[in-house]
Amino acid sequence: MGGNDDTGADNANQGDKSEQNPFGVKEDAPLEVVIFNGGYGEDYAKAHEAMYNEKWPKAKITHSATQEISKTLQPRFVDGSPPDVVNNSGAGQIDQGGLVSQGALTDLTPLLDAPSLDVPGKKVRDTLLPGVVDVGSYDGKFYVLNISYTTYGIWYSSKLFADKGWTYPKTWDEHIALCRTIKAAGTAPWTYAGKHPRYMSWPVIATAIKFGGLDVAKNIDNLEPNAWKSDAMKTAADAWHQIVKDGFILAGTPGLDHVQSQTAWCQGKAAFISCGSWLENEQKAVTPAGFNMVVAPTPSLGASDKLPFEAIRGTASEPFIVPAKAKNAPGGLEYFRTMLSMKGAKDFTGKVSALSVVAGSADGANLGPGLSSVVKALEASGSNGFNWVYQNYYRKLERELVDAACGEFFSGRIGPAEFLDQCQKGADSIAKDTSIKKYKRA
Amino acid sequence: MTVTTERPAAATPVSQERKLRREWGIANVFSHGFLVLWALLTTFPLLWVLISSFKNDTEILSDPWGLPSALRFENWARAWTEAHIGRYFLNSAVVVAGSLTLTMLFGAAAAYVFARYEFRFRQVFYYLFVGGMMFPVFLALVPLFFVVRNAGLLNTWPGLMIVYAGYSLPFTVFFLTAFFRTLPESVAEAALLDGCGHFRLFFRVMLPMARPGLISIGIFNFLSHWNQFILPQVLMQGDESKQVLAQGLATLAVSQGYEGDYSGLFAGLTIAMLPVLAVYILFQRQIQSGLTAGQLK
Amino acid sequence: MRHGKFPLIITFLVPPLLLYGIFVLSPYVQAFQISTTDWGGYTADANYVGFDNFTRLFRDDYVWNAIQNNAILLAVVPLVTIAFGLFFATMLNMGGRGGKAGVSGVRGTAAYRLVYFFPQVLSVVIIAVVWREVYHPNNGLLNGLLKPLGINGPTWLGDPKYAFWCVLAVMVWSNVGFYVVLFGAAMQAIPRDIYEAVLLDGASRFVTLVRITIPLLWDTVQVAWIYLAIAALDGFILVQLMTDGGPNHSSDVIGLRMYNTAFGTDTRFGYASAIGVVMFFLTLSVAVLALRASKRDRIEYS
Repeated sequence: MGGNDDTGADNANQGDKSEQNPFGVKEDAPLEVVIFNGGYGEDYAKAHEAMYNEKWPKAKITHSATQEISKTLQPRFVDGSPPDVVNNSGAGQIDQGGLVSQGALTDLTPLLDAPSLDVPGKKVRDTLLPGVVDVGSYDGKFYVLNISYTTYGIWYSSKLFADKGWTYPKTWDEHIALCRTIKAAGTAPWTYAGKHPRYMSWPVIATAIKFGGLDVAKNIDNLEPNAWKSDAMKTAADAWHQIVKDGFILAGTPGLDHVQSQTAWCQGKAAFISCGSWLENEQKAVTPAGFNMVVAPTPSLGASDKLPFEAIRGTASEPFIVPAKAKNAPGGLEYFRTMLSMKGAKDFTGKVSALSVVAGSADGANLGPGLSSVVKALEASGSNGFNWVYQNYYRKLERELVDAACGEFFSGRIGPAEFLDQCQKGADSIAKDTSIKKYKRA
Repeated sequence: MTVTTERPAAATPVSQERKLRREWGIANVFSHGFLVLWALLTTFPLLWVLISSFKNDTEILSDPWGLPSALRFENWARAWTEAHIGRYFLNSAVVVAGSLTLTMLFGAAAAYVFARYEFRFRQVFYYLFVGGMMFPVFLALVPLFFVVRNAGLLNTWPGLMIVYAGYSLPFTVFFLTAFFRTLPESVAEAALLDGCGHFRLFFRVMLPMARPGLISIGIFNFLSHWNQFILPQVLMQGDESKQVLAQGLATLAVSQGYEGDYSGLFAGLTIAMLPVLAVYILFQRQIQSGLTAGQLK
Repeated sequence: MRHGKFPLIITFLVPPLLLYGIFVLSPYVQAFQISTTDWGGYTADANYVGFDNFTRLFRDDYVWNAIQNNAILLAVVPLVTIAFGLFFATMLNMGGRGGKAGVSGVRGTAAYRLVYFFPQVLSVVIIAVVWREVYHPNNGLLNGLLKPLGINGPTWLGDPKYAFWCVLAVMVWSNVGFYVVLFGAAMQAIPRDIYEAVLLDGASRFVTLVRITIPLLWDTVQVAWIYLAIAALDGFILVQLMTDGGPNHSSDVIGLRMYNTAFGTDTRFGYASAIGVVMFFLTLSVAVLALRASKRDRIEYS
């Protein structure tokens, strides 16, 4: 296998550090950026690159976009000649836990402690929304910068609800009662991405966290013994089992993929769907005019819930990394600082209609109904927001093992106890596997 | 008691023939039914792609089986210009022309030697070649990347041509060896007795006789080279202007979880599909004539 | 054993061998080496771990589940595809107007031969997209056809009882066309008078197929068999696009397992290479077995 030039290039492209130049960018050092060419396209990145060039006019920027991040870049990582900035996203994303465990990434902590480019008196760290640092950290070190803020919740059409006189339920009992009403009205209460049933693991875990507190998530993230079979998870799974038992799910749902189920939902064939805040953008082409999709938190199980109804899962997505062997790592960090400037963040929100992780960057922006509801939900949730990160540590656990269990559970082939057993078995198999590096959430 | 109530089926030749014809007749109804059914099964996806290339995204997603409300040729235009399908198309043609020539030349030569000559380690070499069919390509990608780079062929068309040819050789050699073996021994012997040299024998006698086999494997290789995706993705990533069609289509294709240009995708696919179809239609005649020629021997 | 044989052998064999050795064999050999390491795929560091990956593999239930599915594919796909291919090729070449007036294809042979080839020109991505819509539980063609018959169709790809077989059917569907052409080409090479003689003797079409056509095509059938067997052992792209191995791993195959281990949910290239090595030996043994079992005297009709 390839090159051994470890010590690398960093000396060659290391300039002097200063107040204006906290990472020591060498002014003529070239910068290579590889963008995932997915739903966000690549234009937003070109804008960021132009901003970088404004400050560093002598730097030559090489831009490329691909959909196959891992296959395209793997040989270059091995060769020790990776790009300086990688937007590690999409279906062909490189498993982040794997990258971290191999020491292939640059620690981004200096970025957090550097001053923001255009928010006076603040460090970059202080301009970020809550949870952004947490979700990119592995064993306390910040390796992955996610630039898009994402909310996970339950979506419905506020127009449909207004027309029918339905109100979004705040408690579980109201939810079940409403499902009965909806079903009686001839609509299916629920549908989900049958081929990616992990989408339904999100409301189950969220319900459990709101019921049992933040430790529910932390134990799952840390692969604690029987974390999946905690009382909170049991109560949540029992509750959700109701929508399967009572036939509240659109017939045929297990055979639909995410696009098909979301399309059925947009056509009014089902009332609720579980998704993240990319939904509005993803459904742009098929959403009927006036559909008015909005997001809401999962219903509370009861008065004894540890978190209020408004608490919602907020996290950062759309990961960016600087490889450890990047020729111009200081330039990579500086590029990140450019993305996280207020100007860069506002431009991002404007171009891709998604929230940036920079606090306040959506103010005054012209957002669609879905994204506006996300902003409102986040405000209401405030400091009660929660998140979990096991899927970042152990991609396989969510994508394969929990996914499979959810499929069985929500198609009614297994009950809640077996569902949690199967999830736990998956978590245990990861925990036992000595070839997988383990992380602890702080 | 032998000759009591004989069934009339102790038949005259005429009635036997009639019965035979009826049997064929019933079978024909069934068989024809199958033929037609299969024809429908294979046609409709192609039509579906074609029809979808005229629809807009809403129509594609919410009414997958419906007809387009208008013939939107702008989808095609968008695929051709914005996604540079035209350029990728030419690139693919150049690469496949080179790789196919190389594959057929090397494959036929090696297969001929394996099929027709005795020499030491013949079996070893043969199985070395054929064994290559049984290993998944993508596990060799990283080592391959370095081999190609060290040969100075990274991000070049000759690099792609050579690599395509290399990975097609196992099946080509396997297939053509079997084919050369079926050709009659006697012709070759007669030619050699007439004083024909070994090279002349190959190019003048054996190669023309093997035409049906060459055409079959040629089509097969053409299709696999034309649709090759993983290899160019890894070996031709630097220079966008040199990328091939499959890469261009992938850029259009929808990645999981992201909003994509469905109508552009279908238009691009239609554009990509047509030449393959054209090549097949053209070669279909070649097959016929090649085979007739083979029978004249 | 005539003079001048070796110049030809050397000129014909050495260039292909060099190309193949450098660009195919050497990367494969390196992949074998990787299977004995814990290489993670994104740095140059790899530690030798001996046979660890292989012992892990033998205890990995998911791998065994995938191998089991491949075994079914291996048994079913070549058989059904070749049966269809032979049947259609026979019809197209000699299905026409019954026993008497010699041997000819059915009416419209050329059109059929064209249409049957269509799946070959579609990329796998499109095949997957089309069939996902066919299998759509609510709007799909399949359930649309069943509804008038009073049958409430299953969810197909969403049901572990059916998902695997649905993918298998698509695999057969996409392959048959090529083998119709292949067998058709080989059949054309069979002298007509053989058939005419047999048919005059009053043999049924089935008997003709089994007694005459298949033995004469045996080499071609064998090639088809081995190729389809290899395709069945690999063929993960279709599975990945249609079901991604689900629901609940019911349609998982070894290629997908390997792919996910290397590029998907893991970056364990050492382990993935070990799965690849096992797959290599499995395919190899299948091919050798197939060749052994099918060794017959070659029929020459010159």
